[in-house]
Amino acid sequence: MPQFKQFPMPDTAEGLTEAEILTWNVKVGDAVKVNQIIVEIETAKAAVELPCPWDGVVTELLAEVGQTVNVGVPIITIDVDPSGAAAPAPAPVAAEPATNGASSGKIGEEMPGGRIATLVGYGPRAGAAKRRARKGSEPEPVAAVVAPPAPAAPVAAPAAPVAAPAPVAQPGGYVPLAKPPVRKLAKDLGVDLYALTGSGANGVITREDVEQAVAVPVPAPVSTVDNGSRERRVQIKGVRKATAQAMVDSAFTAPHVTEFLTIDVTPMMELRARLKTSPAFRDVKVTPLTFAAKAVILAAKRTPDVNATWDAAAGEIVYKDYVHLGIAAATPRGLVVPKVRDADAMSLRELAVALDQLATTARDGKTSPADMMGGTFTITNVGVFGVDTGTPIINPGESAILALGAIRDMPWVVDGQVVPRKVCQLALSFDHRVVDGQQGSQFLADVGALLADPGMAMTY
Amino acid sequence: MAAPTMNRAGSDSGDSAVQTLTISKALNMGLRAAMEANPKVLMMGEDIGKLGGVFRITDGLQKDFGEQRVLDTPLAESGIIGTAVGLAIRGYRPVCEIQFDGFIFPGFDQIVSQVAKLHYRTQGKNKLPMVIRVPFGGGIGAVEHHSESPESYFAHTAGLKVVSCSNPTDAYWMIQQAIDCDDPVLFFEPKRRYYEKAPVDTTKAPGPLFESRVLRSGTAATLVGYGPMIRVCLDAANAAAEDGTELEVIDLRTLSPLDLGPVYDSVRRTGRLVVVSEAPSESSITSEIAAKVQQECFYSLQAPVLRVTGFDTPYPPSKLEEEFLPDLDRVLHAVDRSLAW
Repeated sequence: MPQFKQFPMPDTAEGLTEAEILTWNVKVGDAVKVNQIIVEIETAKAAVELPCPWDGVVTELLAEVGQTVNVGVPIITIDVDPSGAAAPAPAPVAAEPATNGASSGKIGEEMPGGRIATLVGYGPRAGAAKRRARKGSEPEPVAAVVAPPAPAAPVAAPAAPVAAPAPVAQPGGYVPLAKPPVRKLAKDLGVDLYALTGSGANGVITREDVEQAVAVPVPAPVSTVDNGSRERRVQIKGVRKATAQAMVDSAFTAPHVTEFLTIDVTPMMELRARLKTSPAFRDVKVTPLTFAAKAVILAAKRTPDVNATWDAAAGEIVYKDYVHLGIAAATPRGLVVPKVRDADAMSLRELAVALDQLATTARDGKTSPADMMGGTFTITNVGVFGVDTGTPIINPGESAILALGAIRDMPWVVDGQVVPRKVCQLALSFDHRVVDGQQGSQFLADVGALLADPGMAMTY
Repeated sequence: MAAPTMNRAGSDSGDSAVQTLTISKALNMGLRAAMEANPKVLMMGEDIGKLGGVFRITDGLQKDFGEQRVLDTPLAESGIIGTAVGLAIRGYRPVCEIQFDGFIFPGFDQIVSQVAKLHYRTQGKNKLPMVIRVPFGGGIGAVEHHSESPESYFAHTAGLKVVSCSNPTDAYWMIQQAIDCDDPVLFFEPKRRYYEKAPVDTTKAPGPLFESRVLRSGTAATLVGYGPMIRVCLDAANAAAEDGTELEVIDLRTLSPLDLGPVYDSVRRTGRLVVVSEAPSESSITSEIAAKVQQECFYSLQAPVLRVTGFDTPYPPSKLEEEFLPDLDRVLHAVDRSLAW
């Protein structure tokens, strides 16, 4: 059927409102093609030839030569389907919107489609910006740009109907002054800069300030006693805070597996008694921990996986050709884990001396932060508290930890006879990302065998 | 509109001094007030007279003040600026409209070589009180040359003042203060915000022209922006507040000279700064702020200064501009990165 389209006067430049018809290049009845020049118009800026947007037949010229026509007003009607069957009813004449869609709305007013009419472009979006969906929260109604407050008084949010949740606890006032590397150190050691007083120029917190905050024993934990509530509140800081952070990091990062082994350490205790009388060990304190340390070092050579690190950032497992042995120590300030450096290069006597010094330094609260870093394996001697064993949590950055239980006189079957023996329980927790059950079990069995029969060390 | 010349407040809300206005209307009223206050104030530009400007900012001014004071010029930006330089030397206060940001470059030589230097060249004898108004930035779906953010070129040039308004109150007052200023001022208008409304008090200026301003107080991090990005910053602060994160928002208002005192004070309290601008980031206003803040607030920074800007590309075709322009989500993402540092 015939289909009529009307071509409106376009805005051929920016901001024009009208144009004059100079020449019609077509007349009623002419066939026209897309892009054929149909009319020349003159605007305030220039004379312009207008191309036809459709194929068809001209059915009506709506403006005369010399006439000034407003932008948006139809100037020609074209039948774009002249060969079609006759329409049952006169086809409605639909004016096309102007070329850039802008002239169809009044400047500055919202058009259908949510944009504001401008002379150039589709126009800015009307209404509030929307946030991409996050936690299913609804985009809030956004207030207009706030009228500026008086200079001295910063004004809160524009009066948007926002039900603001209780503000997060922010330490008020100014940020503590510190260089970025010092901030990093404080973060790593769990030191709260807000709690420190800077000793540097203008109160800047120095590296030494942070290190001291960790090393120096805190006199007495700040606590408040509320007689009414029968509760005592102690501020979480220092070692307690660092321990909590390390344990949470480890427990929720490394998938822990714990295995247990009960062994007869009577031969080890006999060896210990012999060494006590040996001139070489006369002034040295050899304890079950000393033997456990030696056994761990020897067994780790067979199963290097327990002395490796899972480096998620690099996507690598780091195997270490050295053992920095951490010993968990209970101190007045809390749990600290000082390290015996290059323990794998030490003789039993050297190990015994190092462990003794370590314990003394830790008990005096003088363990320096540097002494607590860079461990590869940890032993926790829970036996000194009289308990049998536990399920230890791996020190972050390591892959395994051995708990050494109390040594007790227990009934034990030897050659079919129940006899009293010195019996001890071992527990090994390992990071299952690095260590599989086979390696973990092998290692624990090796440690057990070495403690149960120190002579086995000859075979390593 | 065409309000009676003696009633500069307009008539849409009776006699009240506080009216709800769009930025476009507030600019129009500010220009009208400046022309009423000083007969030496002239307007010059393309289609600003009979048409009232592409964005109707000068609507009705030629009708009320005549063709001698509101001039339709030829399409030659260097001619507009050059003529204004002569007028300013002779005691007039010309206000030039550059129709779109991308059209300023034919006048760039006049601005940088003459406008910026005349006061210096004459050893202070000749002041050059003129204003160059530039609708700038994208977001209106326009063709090439119509969506640019060239403010950094001018802030880089000694001898020019550069300011940008972000809301109707500043539009009304800052344009009058810029015209009153004895130095040449480039006045950048956020074209995609022309039709946003807010209440305007037309009786009292909120403060001097060359000052930045804290629009919203917060403790978690500081957002700094100007012009069209202020709306984005305030939207982001509202969204962050829903999550319990209170952001401080500062509107620079003046880009040259920069007024960074309030920014330093804020960063010393929050320790974190995100700078937002539509302009590409290389060698820009945002670079300058990042450099100065790290120098002045080094010991207070908990995270590096982060920037959310347009990309270092030509402005894209309009169908892609929403990807180019910093939005609520890009700002919030930067805030999250800063807080996680």
